[in-house]
Amino acid sequence: MSTVDRTEGETPVSSTERMQTRFGSRAALLGIAGGALLLLSGLLSWSFDDRVLGDLSIRFYPAGIQIYAMVVGVVGLVLGLLLLRRPAWLDPGRGLRALGYGSLAFVLAALISIAYQAGGLVNVNEGGWVGLVGAALLLAAGLLSPARHLDVHAWPRLASWQEISIIVVLLAVLLFTTAYTLNIDDAATFGCLLIVILTVAISLLGSGFGGYVGFIGQNNRRPLLLAAFLVAFLFPFTQDGSDANMSIATQILIFAATALGLNIVVGLAGLLDLGYIAFLGTGAYVGAMLSQSAFATIGWKPPFLVVMLLGMMVASIFGLIIGTPTLRVSGDYLAIVTLGFGEIFRLAMFNLDGNNGPELTNGPNGIPAIPDLNFFGFDFGATHTLAGIPLGRFSNYYFLLLVLIAFVILVFTRLNDSRIGRGWVAIREDERAAEAMGVNVFGLKLLAFAVGASLAGLAGTIKAHQDTSVTPDQYIFLESAFLLAAVVLGGMGTVAGVLVGATILKLLPEKARVVNDYRLLIFGLLLVIMMRFRPEGIVPSKRRQLEFHEDDEELVELAQTEHLEAK
Amino acid sequence: MEFAQQLVNGLTLGSLYALIAVGYTVVYGIIQLINFAHGEIFMIGAFGALSTWLVFFDGNTSVWVLPIMIIGAIAASVIVAVLMERVAYRPLRNAPRLAPLITAIGISVFLQELVRLGYNNPLLFISTWNPFNFPSAKQKVPFPQIDVVTGAAFNLGGVTIQRSTIFTIGALIVCAAGLFYFVSRTRTGRAMQAVSQDPDTARLMGINVDRIIVVAFVIGATLAAVAGVAQGLQVTNINFKMGFLAGLKAFTAAVLGGIGNVWGAVLGGLTLGLVESMAVQFIPGTFGGSPWKDVWAFAILILVLVFRPQGLLGAKVVDRA
Repeated sequence: MSTVDRTEGETPVSSTERMQTRFGSRAALLGIAGGALLLLSGLLSWSFDDRVLGDLSIRFYPAGIQIYAMVVGVVGLVLGLLLLRRPAWLDPGRGLRALGYGSLAFVLAALISIAYQAGGLVNVNEGGWVGLVGAALLLAAGLLSPARHLDVHAWPRLASWQEISIIVVLLAVLLFTTAYTLNIDDAATFGCLLIVILTVAISLLGSGFGGYVGFIGQNNRRPLLLAAFLVAFLFPFTQDGSDANMSIATQILIFAATALGLNIVVGLAGLLDLGYIAFLGTGAYVGAMLSQSAFATIGWKPPFLVVMLLGMMVASIFGLIIGTPTLRVSGDYLAIVTLGFGEIFRLAMFNLDGNNGPELTNGPNGIPAIPDLNFFGFDFGATHTLAGIPLGRFSNYYFLLLVLIAFVILVFTRLNDSRIGRGWVAIREDERAAEAMGVNVFGLKLLAFAVGASLAGLAGTIKAHQDTSVTPDQYIFLESAFLLAAVVLGGMGTVAGVLVGATILKLLPEKARVVNDYRLLIFGLLLVIMMRFRPEGIVPSKRRQLEFHEDDEELVELAQTEHLEAK
Repeated sequence: MEFAQQLVNGLTLGSLYALIAVGYTVVYGIIQLINFAHGEIFMIGAFGALSTWLVFFDGNTSVWVLPIMIIGAIAASVIVAVLMERVAYRPLRNAPRLAPLITAIGISVFLQELVRLGYNNPLLFISTWNPFNFPSAKQKVPFPQIDVVTGAAFNLGGVTIQRSTIFTIGALIVCAAGLFYFVSRTRTGRAMQAVSQDPDTARLMGINVDRIIVVAFVIGATLAAVAGVAQGLQVTNINFKMGFLAGLKAFTAAVLGGIGNVWGAVLGGLTLGLVESMAVQFIPGTFGGSPWKDVWAFAILILVLVFRPQGLLGAKVVDRA
């Protein structure tokens, strides 16, 4: 922040800035050299011991993390070459900096795990050291290249089919990466891969590609959405009938659908709800009590479509009940009221066991043995084979949930773009002003609660069947906190953000078993750090981001440009 | 007789709630922040007392151990609370209101997990070094029973009064009186009043607002630590999750009394405790009894927030957005 204490006459320049002006021209060469070294290191042996991180001892035949090093190397090379060309809408220097830090972290993590698992740094072969030097060069290149102002008007204009093919290629890369990542079982390798993915993503986004991809996404909304769903639809076919990953995927989808519902309440209308998991619970209990299970407490067993509608209805009635007090309380108080409702729901489900109240929920034991769904003869519990690829039980639920998610996203985006959605945003930003402008504040708040709750209720009815049992301890406060975290981490008010947040929060604890015991610790820390440094989330909505960074001129300009482009 | 017994039980429970609630209220009064992690400060107080006992007096149950345990508890709570204020809340002082609330939830989860994982293994997963043979905090941990507080109960005309009851109520009286003296008679206390009324003007008058906020956190942590010791002596075991429900109940008490008002918090705590224990005894039918008492507490919370958000003793607040 050297601009702040700048005095008349002389302009003090920080040592980094001086270095940047002196060596800026050579940064590109450093970046290219670093990239090349990392590329080379992939061909060399990393470890003497062939049992660490897969087999890294073979030369000229890259495997495991050697490939990751080569990927980082290629990105470094490209950014270095771009640094020579300097297009106006890109800042490869910023990307190189992120890539430098990330690749350094990656190489160090790899070296540490080699040293740790094989016993000593002696076991690190020349490839590791070459990689370390390459990463250091990338970082040096990043630090030495002068920061630039991005000109967002200079985005290259391509033909529509070219833009669409960029989107398709990106999504294909995404699908491939996801499938590849999910098939890694070794925790250390998984960690390294995660560092690499994050590094590459952050450095590409940071250097200005993110804005461009967002821009072509805006231009081709429909193909983008279709392609995204196609990718999601194809995902089970990459799993070769394995149920382990599909089970995680279905959990992520349920979680994401619920978080999208919460996003309406928190992200759009700005009403903080800390008891939201109760709506998912309502749906699940409705689904369980009306299911074919022998433990279901209500004799009526309607077809599942009816159960779904009932789950939605009951949840939205609860939403209305919880929403009513919002007329009188707001802000922190609303958070506490909803938290209280959430706890009441859990305690009630816990106690309605026939001893302490009417027999409805079997108390702490819950309702087990819920049978699989059966739609018009299509059994969700059985494995179906399509084009030679077996699709297991969880794949069936995955497709059903995909339809659900599509529906939820449709509801969300339609509402967001409508008069109602604008009313919610107005309430979020200034309730009094909104009321003065004729927005029906109370009605819209109630509607937010009802719509959000009904979406969660719908997800709950499916969850009951997918989990095959429903117990009260699935619906504790911590789960509400997780949902809120997914919304906040991803970026309030955006669909993509919430999907990213939900995926991170559900996937990490499932895959990284080492951190399993520490996941809540990390979760808590993550919330604190996120609020401190990036309160708008990973994929922020531009308008929302402005609320946190009011004095950022560049951002204002960007938001306005994107707004105009979208028209 | 039943009524008198439940009155005693309710007052004991209520005193505990009140001790924690005062911390909520003092912090809220100064910076308008619901410190969600306050329940965890209470839990850390209990573990601080336990640690003090395990390190210095393992096996000793004499009277004079108790004050030192309380000092240990206060030290642990105050250190954590001040760190929390410095690291997490201070940078967010001008942020939108959602940010500190989410931070508070994060801290609450973090502190619980830190105690669960790190109590008998302070180096977490680096090594299993356990210098003082602390027990694992992943299950319930027995709390040291000091003879003077856990000895034989008194019987007053058929009503049983535990010694820990006397300790808890006594602690509330001493703390409330001390707080009253501090707030109304000392310079710092009057500065606190000034800051809670108008921080900007107070700053113009030469009051160091940052320091006053730290003082508020220290006071809250001290009372929570005393409550932690009292809870440990009463229930005879503690666990890393005890802070969440206690914090929620204490917040209910603070709101019930009128948040920001110290006497309101005391009154609210006592009322909530009485209502809970009376509900256990006197609500007929299947919805009575102890399984439902938490439900009644939350129902009260919601009703108060909806119909009298200013609480029993609070002044009418114009805007609480």
